[in-house]
Amino acid sequence: MSFPSINFRARSVLALGAALLVWCGAGVAQPVPAAPPATMSAAPAPAAARPAVRAPRPQLGVGAAVAPDGTLWLVALNAQGRLYLQTAPMPAGKGTTPWSAPRLLDTADDVISADGENRPKLLFGPRGTVLIAYTQVLSKPFTGHVRMLRSVDAGKTFAPPFTVHADRQVITHRFESVAFDRQGVLHTVWIDKRDQELAPRVGQKSTYRGAAIYRNTSTDGGATFGPDIKVADHSCECCRIALGLGADGVMRAMWRHVFAPNVRDHAFAVLRGDTTAPIVRATYDEWRVDACPHHGPGLAAAQEGFHAVWFGIRPQGGENVAAVRYARLEPDGTPRADTVRQIPDERAEHADVAAHGQRVAVVWRSTDGKLSTLKAWLSEDGGQTFREQVLGQTEGHNDFPRLVQNGLRMVVVWRNAVEVKVYEITF
Amino acid sequence: MKSRFKPVQLLGRRTVMVASAAMVLSAWATPLMAQSGRKNRVTLNSVLRFDETTWARLVEKGPRPAAYIFTTTYCPSCPDAFEKVMAFVMQARRPVELVVVLMDVQGKAALEHASHYVGATRLYTFEGFESAIRQSVDPKWPNVTPYIVLLGRDGGIQRSIGVPEEAALKRWLP
Repeated sequence: MSFPSINFRARSVLALGAALLVWCGAGVAQPVPAAPPATMSAAPAPAAARPAVRAPRPQLGVGAAVAPDGTLWLVALNAQGRLYLQTAPMPAGKGTTPWSAPRLLDTADDVISADGENRPKLLFGPRGTVLIAYTQVLSKPFTGHVRMLRSVDAGKTFAPPFTVHADRQVITHRFESVAFDRQGVLHTVWIDKRDQELAPRVGQKSTYRGAAIYRNTSTDGGATFGPDIKVADHSCECCRIALGLGADGVMRAMWRHVFAPNVRDHAFAVLRGDTTAPIVRATYDEWRVDACPHHGPGLAAAQEGFHAVWFGIRPQGGENVAAVRYARLEPDGTPRADTVRQIPDERAEHADVAAHGQRVAVVWRSTDGKLSTLKAWLSEDGGQTFREQVLGQTEGHNDFPRLVQNGLRMVVVWRNAVEVKVYEITF
Repeated sequence: MKSRFKPVQLLGRRTVMVASAAMVLSAWATPLMAQSGRKNRVTLNSVLRFDETTWARLVEKGPRPAAYIFTTTYCPSCPDAFEKVMAFVMQARRPVELVVVLMDVQGKAALEHASHYVGATRLYTFEGFESAIRQSVDPKWPNVTPYIVLLGRDGGIQRSIGVPEEAALKRWLP
């Protein structure tokens, strides 16, 4: 049989077979049709894919505060996602911090957020009150409840966790911040999406810009809470809220806002009683973007007004310059334009600020590939001039630095995947 | 002996060739078709790892043109940005690799978020220290999402925080 004589049949079959192979192969290479997430199963993974064995990213976010007796306290999640408490003497000089053994807290199996901007907080109040606030992660994406553990015996025991806000929808109530004012009123402020839920939709998208800032107060140290009060419409959805107690003893809040149409600058509000005050614009980066910086501000009281630090992208000299910036704010939050300056580190992230008298400390994380450096910017003239200091370094996963203050003394608490380090600020 | 190839003979040479060509064309065009109408868009159900070495490899050897949408689970702006890039791809009617990279969740947990990115052709998750991986993609990328990289057919790279400007999208898929 000559080769060409069978060729029409054979070639036809071969052609069809080859075409079928290509066609089927293409089908195999495509993802499977959509199915509800709850019923999804992983398809046979390519060689590079190893979905089943990956360890989750460690949740290293901590809350720290100084107790009335001068001891440093810390709350954080362990590797199993359980909330624990540790204490240590305030460090003096350099050296390893002698943390106590971790004490697990009963959080009623809440799934707790402790990653970056949304972390547990620790707060000491009047008459032996100790409060621990955290966001309980709920089943739907972007949803959570603000929860609290309360002790009235200086932290010896804690009552079971409770939800702080009146609204109980499965929506965003996250990124809480808590603080006592000078009258002993507890302020809880959080990001809330109840207004977004109610707004008209175009397709699946809400017409509401961003989220909202809500708050409530407690005049009995967290035993009971007043109604949920809206502070402002149109906040950014995923940045921490900074609280600062003014020289007048009244609480202020600063947060990333979405000014119309999509300017992600910062707003400032005075939190007085249960009244709603108009908000003030505190930064003017004019950063127009539909994006999520996940990078909230820091706020500390000055002798008059406030010291503020924030991240933003600002048009400068024909370029968009991303930076952490510092400025002084008036008591109502209005920025003093001549005080705005850029922190001298283009890799600066998640700065925190503390102040006492004329002393101001700004700390931040600067990551260059694998190595993260903890830096400080210190002023002894109320923020007019600063000098830079390197406090420490670490490799691999690490939390943002948290400044903790006890009067004149300031320390930075910085957790990495192995330990929690404490650095004393020396001016 | 009866021919086992009778159906083929009945169809005729031209028909077979046309059918074969149609199948090959269909296979080639499937990525485009998967994105050209909402009915056909699919949700991914497998995850690839993205570490400090992945980006260089994708730029050098990965498919082109491609769009990489770096996102986080807490980023409510990210699904919108994905939709806008997707809409441009659909309008351009071009086969494009449309990749979602989730930065803050690993492995199967990422699949809970895949429904926000229906129509993506691949889903990666960061594996390792986020900042280090981020800097392997772009040392000047502040931790803002969505961060979108458009990789052109000629290897040209355009980066943006948020949705790329129309001009950038047109340069990417002229």
